[in-house]
Order: sequence, then structure tokens, then C-alpha cells
Amino acid sequence: MSPAGLSFVAALVGLGLAAVAGFALPGAARPAVVGALSAVSGCAALVAGVGALAGQAWSVSLPGVLPLSGLVFAIDPLGGMFVAVTGGVVAAAAVYGVGYTGHGLSGRLPQSVFPVFAAAMLLVPAAATVGALLVCWELMAVASLLLVVTEHRERPEVASAGRWYAVMTHLGFAAILAGLMLFAAAAPGDSFAALRAAAPGMTPGSRTVVFVLVLAGFASKAGIVPLHAWLPRAHPEAPSHVSALMSAAMVNLGIYGIIRVGFDLLGGGARGWWIAVLAVGAVSALYGILQAAVATDLKRLLAHSTTENMGLVLVGVGAAGIFATSGERVLAGLALVAALLHTVNHAAFKTLLFLAAGSVLRATGSRDLDALGGLRARMPATTLLFGVGALAASALPPGTAFVSEWLLLQALVHGLPASGAVTAIAMPLSVAVVALTAGLAVVTFVKAFGTGFLARPRSEAAARAAESPRGMVAGMVLAAGACGVLALAPTVVVSALGRATAIGRLAADPISGNAVTVRLGGVAGALSPLMLAVALLAGVIVVLGALRLLASRRARREARLWDCGAGPPTPRMEYTATSFAEPVQRVFDNVLRPEQDVEVTHADESRYLVAAIEYRRAVPDRVERRLYVPVLTALRAWGRAARGLADGSVHRYLGYGFGAVTVLLIVLAVTR
Amino acid sequence: MTDTGYTQLLDLACGAFLLSGVLVLARRGLAGVIRVFTAQGVALAALTIVIAVHERSAEWGVAAVGIVALRAVALPMMLRRALADQRDAEARPLVNIPASLLAAAALTLLAYVASQPLVHLAPSTATHAIPIGVAMVLIGLFALTTRRRAVSQVVGFLVVDNGITAVGVLTLASVPLVVELGIALDVLFAVLVLQILATRMREAFGDTDLDELRELRD
Repeated sequence: MSPAGLSFVAALVGLGLAAVAGFALPGAARPAVVGALSAVSGCAALVAGVGALAGQAWSVSLPGVLPLSGLVFAIDPLGGMFVAVTGGVVAAAAVYGVGYTGHGLSGRLPQSVFPVFAAAMLLVPAAATVGALLVCWELMAVASLLLVVTEHRERPEVASAGRWYAVMTHLGFAAILAGLMLFAAAAPGDSFAALRAAAPGMTPGSRTVVFVLVLAGFASKAGIVPLHAWLPRAHPEAPSHVSALMSAAMVNLGIYGIIRVGFDLLGGGARGWWIAVLAVGAVSALYGILQAAVATDLKRLLAHSTTENMGLVLVGVGAAGIFATSGERVLAGLALVAALLHTVNHAAFKTLLFLAAGSVLRATGSRDLDALGGLRARMPATTLLFGVGALAASALPPGTAFVSEWLLLQALVHGLPASGAVTAIAMPLSVAVVALTAGLAVVTFVKAFGTGFLARPRSEAAARAAESPRGMVAGMVLAAGACGVLALAPTVVVSALGRATAIGRLAADPISGNAVTVRLGGVAGALSPLMLAVALLAGVIVVLGALRLLASRRARREARLWDCGAGPPTPRMEYTATSFAEPVQRVFDNVLRPEQDVEVTHADESRYLVAAIEYRRAVPDRVERRLYVPVLTALRAWGRAARGLADGSVHRYLGYGFGAVTVLLIVLAVTR
Repeated sequence: MTDTGYTQLLDLACGAFLLSGVLVLARRGLAGVIRVFTAQGVALAALTIVIAVHERSAEWGVAAVGIVALRAVALPMMLRRALADQRDAEARPLVNIPASLLAAAALTLLAYVASQPLVHLAPSTATHAIPIGVAMVLIGLFALTTRRRAVSQVVGFLVVDNGITAVGVLTLASVPLVVELGIALDVLFAVLVLQILATRMREAFGDTDLDELRELRD
């Protein structure tokens, strides 16, 4: 067995032990043991994934576990990358989970399901048959659902979010199931090797059907518009370290599925597929970041930002597909590496941000940015770490996302001369979308950090906040360290990702470079994030030093701040998340269609005196309102009509069964 | 036993089996229904014995003894016990008796047409009678659907089971003994549960008309 295989098995065994420990141990010892075992297993999985990226192959066949086909697991470089990302996220979330207890989080169910969820997420990218993939996918869905509804006793919204999630994840599963079954029916077996061999023999029409079904299923897991409705509900309502796992690791597996089936198993396919992928990716990126920009709930904001980032990843995947079908292997590889790197980066900073949000939630009991503020003095570690995460999430140097979005832009810009009218239209549009998204991301995270952590507290709870325990801070520090490495030395990761793109003979390993500089192969382009960071730091120091020098020339004088004579400013005069996002909301008024309501109550004595002003604002999800509400209404009406079928008479129910059997037999007898 | 004799005996047993099944629909009094059901158990046992003798198989002989014990003795006894009031009759079946008989004829025809593929799999004297078993399943389901009294419903259910057993016997399929025992036990338990249900219903409503249970829905 290769070292990668050994550590992968060790990770699974460790998670199994953690699940047993979470069930069997007494309450007090539970979080520590489960957290430690899961963290070690996460590290082992990280090692396994890195080993697989370095080329160590591993596979195991378990013929007796599942009837008919058995289970086969294998790690190749592509799967290894997702195993490594999941392992890293699991390690950080598990360390954090040691300290993150309370609200029933140290109960038997959440503690034993958490490792199961992690194990299922590790097994999905390692599955090498359709059966194994589907079983692990379903296990992952059910385990995450159980974790989402952990706090359903405390808050009714959790139960509602759980229902949305349960329904949508199973609809997605049904789509994947149908697609892969259609695919496997055309092949001699259900192993990926058999599917790969059978794909060229299928008709283009049936391949398209398979791809569309599978795309719908996997995209709903990745939170892609319009199948995103569950994501901003379920991710915020889950306990925060579970939110981190879901938002940083689970959504990636949707991307994995699209790449695996589209590029690897179906072998590329038609250009139209990838244009569709590019389009839904671009729409998701824009829509997600717009919703995030106007969101006031911290965790909801992060969830919308997940949709945005997965959209950007799909833009990269779609561009890679378009380039691959027109024979531009280097550009295809570049776009795919950009997409994968962005997946890794997103995993790092989204873990950090969700963990920090959990720390805030634990300290203040609130996720409402309008009611936070002033946490800097009381929670310095969390504030610093959230700041690092916010910087990483906005595509500005020296942030983490900057590198991958730069690579993505390079691929798209260099794709302009590529053949075809479609590329000539799609690429500039995508460049514009990526650029607009990057700008809005900056607004979003400046808002989240500025109104959430700086200034003065706007509520009692925020004023009484206290720093989180050491375990939680340690988990966040791990994630922040990953962000730092990815931001300053992306070459470490990029060269390994190049191997992961060498699937399906479509994409070439496009990027070279030394420890400092990323150099693109085939097209002109180089970037040195470390140098950039050093230059930025130097610039900041120079500016600050110059200001200090200039300021020290003049004599300093203490004075009261000018307050227009209205007395000292109160916290109510601060920028809130709502007011900060108001200009953005105004600009995108036609897209967002916010609902606002201003109510002025006049004093009894005079119409000219105002007693109170009430302002309400809500930004409903328009996609949801247009697409989901009619469907749900129709379903509800249908359900009400179907109630007429069940009038309580036993004979009627028996008659339905009897009638069905008889009609079936008649149909069989007639059509035979 | 000569081949002609075997064929005639088999056909006779199958005929009796089918006739008793149809008579379940024709009888109004519940005591009569139980008597007809007993007769059907005997016919099924006779069918098994004919096959056991022809195949010279002791295993089938044991099966025949089991069928007699369960279907001709144990189940009818339990049904009779459930039927405390002898005058309890199927007053108004949902489909009246002449129509039920016509339906039984139609269902038998359907069974013949629908089970042709089964017969063609391995044509032999025994497999040609498979449609009888299938017809009995359909007639049993029909009785289950259209009769109001709990006891007649149980009988319908048991007729379905008789039909399934008949198909098993006629295909000469060697069902493992454990499976066969398990099914027999299941049937026994189902009847026990229904017997308790019938008793409870009579205590609650003074009647065993299942349509009294209409309120049991969301």
C-alpha cells in the first residue's frame, strides 16, 4: 500500500473511532476526544491527498460490501486534491470544535455524526464506481442534514432550513442518480474505468442528457443559482464549525462531480455544455455577491459569498471546457488550475470566516451585523483573524483570492484570440463579471469587518462580548495560517494542482515557477505574490512613516471632535451594515428590487414635529420568488387535491392497490 | 400413477381449488365463507399430494401435511373463534354477489392471459395450471377490496396467500423450508392481529364493518 493509501485508511479509521467515542464517552470528555481524533484524522487525510497529488496511486476493492457491484475506492491526483482540502478543513474545524460547545453541541448526536460527515466527504472524491459515489454522497447528505438540525429545539428557523435542505439535497441526489444510471446503462459495468471506455460509444444526445442531469445535481450541492435556495438557509443555521465544513468542503464536492463526470468520464463533450457551465457560474457569482453585499446577517452573508465563489470556480471550469473543445490545451489547463486553486483558496478563507463568525455568535448571541460593532477591544484575536479572512476573501493583493482570480482573469483574457464567435462574446463578458464580482466582494468584506468589529458596540450583547476559548482560537489560527501560505506562496500548491488537471487528456499542466514567482506556460504572464506583499508592506510603512514625520513637525493639540453642537456622537450614529450597503443597493435597485417602507409618526401637537420614524427594509431573493414560490404553490395545491383520494375508507385504499395490479396486468397482457 | 391419471388428478385438484375460491365470493354467511376457505385448504393440500406422489418426493409430502395443518385446520379454527356471532353475515358487500362472480370470471381470464409467459418458461402439466394460482391471488385481492366484514377480509387475505402457495407448488420450485416456515408464521401472525382487531372493533362499535374506521386519517 502506498503512503497515501496508508494515511487515507488511517484517517478513516480515526474518524470511525471518533464517531464511536462521540457516542460512547460521557458528556464532559466527549468534545475533546472527538475533536482530537478528528483533527488527527483530518491531518492524515491532508497527507493522503497531498501524496495522491504527488502521484501516489491507491485503490481498494470491497466486493462484498454492496450487493451486485461492490465498492471500489481509488485516489488519483484530482480526487487527491479534494481529499486534501477536505482533510485540512476537517482538521481546523475539529480543533475549533473542542472549544465550541454549549447549546447542546456536545450532545451524543452531533458529536458522533460530525466524524461520519467528515469521513463521507473524504470518501466521495475517492469513490471509483457509481455505486460507491452514490452511497457516499447520500451518507454525506444525511450526516450534514443531521448536523444542520442540531439546534432545532432552540430555534424554529433551524427546522425550516433543515426541511429546505433535505428536499433540495434529495432532489439533487435524484438527478445525479438518474444521470449516472443512464450513463452506467451504456457501459459494461459501473466502475469509472468502464464508464470512461463507454463514453465515446454513446450518442451525443444521450451524453448531453447525462451531463445536464449530473450538472443539475452537482450544481445544487455547490449552491449554484438557481438551485441555491437551500444554501443561505442551511449553512447559517448549522453550528458554525459545521457551517465551515459545509461551506468550505462540501460545496467543493459539487465542483468535483462536474469536473469528474464532464472532463474525465464523458471526456469533454460538446462546447455548448461548457458555455452553459460558464453562464450559470457567471450568474451565480454576480447574484451571490450582490446578495452578500446587502445581507446583514453575518453567516448568511458568508453563505451568499460561497455561492459567489463557487460561481467563479464554475466560470473557470466552463472556460476550461470551452478551450479544451477548441483544442487550446494550455489555456484549458490554465483555466482549470485557476478554478481548482480558487476552490482551495475559498476553502481556506471560508473556513476561517465561518469559524470567526461562530466565535462572534458564541460571544454575543447575535449574527446581525447591525447589532454588533466594537468587538475589536473585547475580542482581539477573533477580530484579527476575521480581518485576515476578510482580506483573503477580497480579491486584492496580498489576499488569497487575488492569486486565483488573477489566474482566472489571465486565462479569460488570453482566451480572447481563441477561435469562434462564442468565445469572442463569452470571454470579455466573463472578464467583466469576474472584475465586478471582485469589486463587490471588497465592499462586502469591508462592510462585514468594519461594521461588525470596528467602531463602538451597537447593542448590549456586543458590549458584553468576551474572547472565545483557546481551542476555538487555535482552529481559526490553523485556517488563517493556510490562508497566509496560499496568499504568499501559491506556487507550492499550483504546481501540484497542475497534475490534477492532467485528466481526460484535455488539459496540459500549464504553470511553472519557482518558490516565489508563478510563471504561465504558453502565454505571457508572471506573478510574484510574495514580492507584491513585501512591496505593499514597504509602501504602507513608508507612507505611515512619512505621515508620522510630517505630523511630528507640528505641535500636537488635544481638542473635542466637532459634533455640530449636538453633543458627542452616539453609537446610533455609526454606519450599520444596512446603511453601508445602501449605495450598492441603490445602484443595483433593478436587480435586487428591495422592499422598503418608511413610516413617520407625527406628534399629537403639531404636524411639523416628528415623534418617530420607522424604517423597514427587506431584500427578498428574486430568483426564489419567481422560480420557487410558483412551484411550491402548485405542489401545495396538488397535495391538497390529492387529499381527496384518501377519504379514510380502507376499502378505497385496498381498491387502489387492486386496481393498480389489475391495470398493470392488463397493460402487460395487451402490449406483449 | 400413469401420466393420464396424474394429469386428471392434478386438473381435478386445481378445479376444486378454483371453485372454492370463487365460492368465497358467492357465500353471504360468514360461517359458510370459512367452510369454503377450509375446503380450499384441503384442495391445495390435495394438489400438493398429487405432485408429491408424482415426483416421489418426501419433501412435498411434508409440505402437504403442513398445508393441511395450517390452512385446513389452524386458520379456519382461529377464524371461527373470531366469529363469535354465527349470524354475522356479509350484509351489503360493496359489489353485489352476481357482479362479484362476473368479476371473478374476468379476473380468471386476465390471469390466464397474463401468466402465459410463466407457462412458456417451462411447459409441463403442472406449470399449465399456474394461471389458477394467479387467478386466486386476484380473486383474493378482489375479496379483500369489496367485502366489509373484518372476517371476510381476513379470508380474502388468506386466499391471496393460498394463491401464492399454489403458484409455488405448481412451479415445482424448491423454496427453502426456512422461507416457507417464515411465510407460514407471518400469515399466522397476520391472522392473529386481525382476530384481535375484529374483537376490539366489535367491542367498540358492536360491529366489524371496516368502513366504521373512516375517521382514522389526517
